[in-house]
Amino acid sequence: MGVVVKKVELSWLDSTYVWPVLKGMAITFEHFIKQLFTPTSKRYTIQYPEMKKEMPEGYRGLHELKRFEDGAIKCVACFMCQEACPARCISIEAEEFSDLNITQGFEEKRPAQFKIDMLRCIYCGMCEEACPKDAIWLRKDYEVAAYDRLSMQYGKWDLMNTYSKVDGKDRITQDTTPTVPRRTIVM
Amino acid sequence: MDKLASLLHTTPAIVWMALKIVIVFGGVMSLAAIFTWVERRGSAMIQDRIGPNRAALFGKIRIIGLAQILADGIKMFFKEDLIPTDANRRLFWLAPFLAFVPALLGFAVIPFGKSFMSGGHTYHLSVLDPGNGMGMLYPLAIGGMAVYGVLVAAWSSNNKWSILGGMRASAAMVSYEIGMSLAVVAIFMTAGGYDPSEIITAQGHLPWTWNVVRQPLGFIVFFTCMFAETNRLPFDFAEGESEIVAGFNTEFGSMKFSLMALAEYSHMMTASALIATLYFGGWQVPFVKDPSVMLSVACFVLKLVFFAWVFVWIRWTVPRFRYDQLMRLGWKRMLPLSMVNLVFHAWRMSQGH
Repeated sequence: MGVVVKKVELSWLDSTYVWPVLKGMAITFEHFIKQLFTPTSKRYTIQYPEMKKEMPEGYRGLHELKRFEDGAIKCVACFMCQEACPARCISIEAEEFSDLNITQGFEEKRPAQFKIDMLRCIYCGMCEEACPKDAIWLRKDYEVAAYDRLSMQYGKWDLMNTYSKVDGKDRITQDTTPTVPRRTIVM
Repeated sequence: MDKLASLLHTTPAIVWMALKIVIVFGGVMSLAAIFTWVERRGSAMIQDRIGPNRAALFGKIRIIGLAQILADGIKMFFKEDLIPTDANRRLFWLAPFLAFVPALLGFAVIPFGKSFMSGGHTYHLSVLDPGNGMGMLYPLAIGGMAVYGVLVAAWSSNNKWSILGGMRASAAMVSYEIGMSLAVVAIFMTAGGYDPSEIITAQGHLPWTWNVVRQPLGFIVFFTCMFAETNRLPFDFAEGESEIVAGFNTEFGSMKFSLMALAEYSHMMTASALIATLYFGGWQVPFVKDPSVMLSVACFVLKLVFFAWVFVWIRWTVPRFRYDQLMRLGWKRMLPLSMVNLVFHAWRMSQGH
């Protein structure tokens, strides 16, 4: 298969080589001046530690364990995410908790431990897909780094508080007793 | 001012000489160092990037990244100095100096300011006083020496890529030198002498009497040849990532590499000083008939920096040539053009212009 190469016919001025070089220099100088007088915030380059990229919708970053308004965890420890995880980085320990003393009384399941090994996680979002309660979300934080391997093991409280600063919520470090039962047990 | 003048009269000539050497070579070397940063930052700006702006003094004072020069220097200085086993050790040590010294030496004869009279003495602002008998021939001869730096570096590293790069570069340098010399000869003819101060005074203070207007063809030839001489981008045949790795400095590391790089930039400074002297009236200030000494020095430095910037500018505008294109351009275009230029000016002079 032959390709016919079209020969470019240069005009007299272009074939001197000097004029095209001057034209090229005008272009590069235009870029230079434009870039020189563009404020840093409007340049293409994002100056990383000071400026951060706004991630698009649907970006799969660091996980968050969602909570209810009253601070109780949404997760019901159904192990769906653990099963769905292709990297096998989630490990859950379930516990039962009940508070039959308060008026309505209820019994529910929640995770006592919820660990994600961030070194293994591939951020595929399968856990988010699998979750029946919308309790685990992958959000936009991409700065997951640490100096040692142990700090990459994210526990339940790490995951619950990942975005508390961004969302303006309080950090919680212990399970709050729900004020309203999620599902009333009819006796 | 009087005190300064009397100090000048009482200092012996040798001190004045040493002072000039320190100022000129110190100045050229620091300008060359600054231009390594200018090159990186300027190229970044041209390509809509930002470039090195992070290096800071004591981690605090950023000064638009100028500390990068220091950081680079310190880094280069403390790196391990490797010599390949089969390299010619002596020549390998010598090569960076052979590259660096001629690049600086060419500057010696160029007047960077107006000569001034003080206390019955005339003080010349160039390391070698005018009337030394060498004149403009000296930087041309020293420029020819620069080939040795490249070639010795290439040969001593005992590496095929290096040798190929060095051979290519020296062939290019030698073939462009002919065109360049003929362009300069036309200037010698019209100026009536080859002393730089004569050439500068012959050009006068009006921009349209400068040689660039009188001999535009010669200027184009000389300017192009300067790129080949300094081994810079449209003609950088000493290097070539895709073909011969890093060419003649493949085997050079740490401070030796730094010296090689600095030699290129010093060469650039000398080249732009030559362009300014030969074609843009040296220290002449446009439209000022009798400038003060400081003004003339400032004007010369301005011209020098501008042409050094043009070197950077063109590097990031024009793509590289192929080797055969380079040779064709050198022998079939530049040489005949400078010949035409020479003959034309000879004919004009014979007509009594």
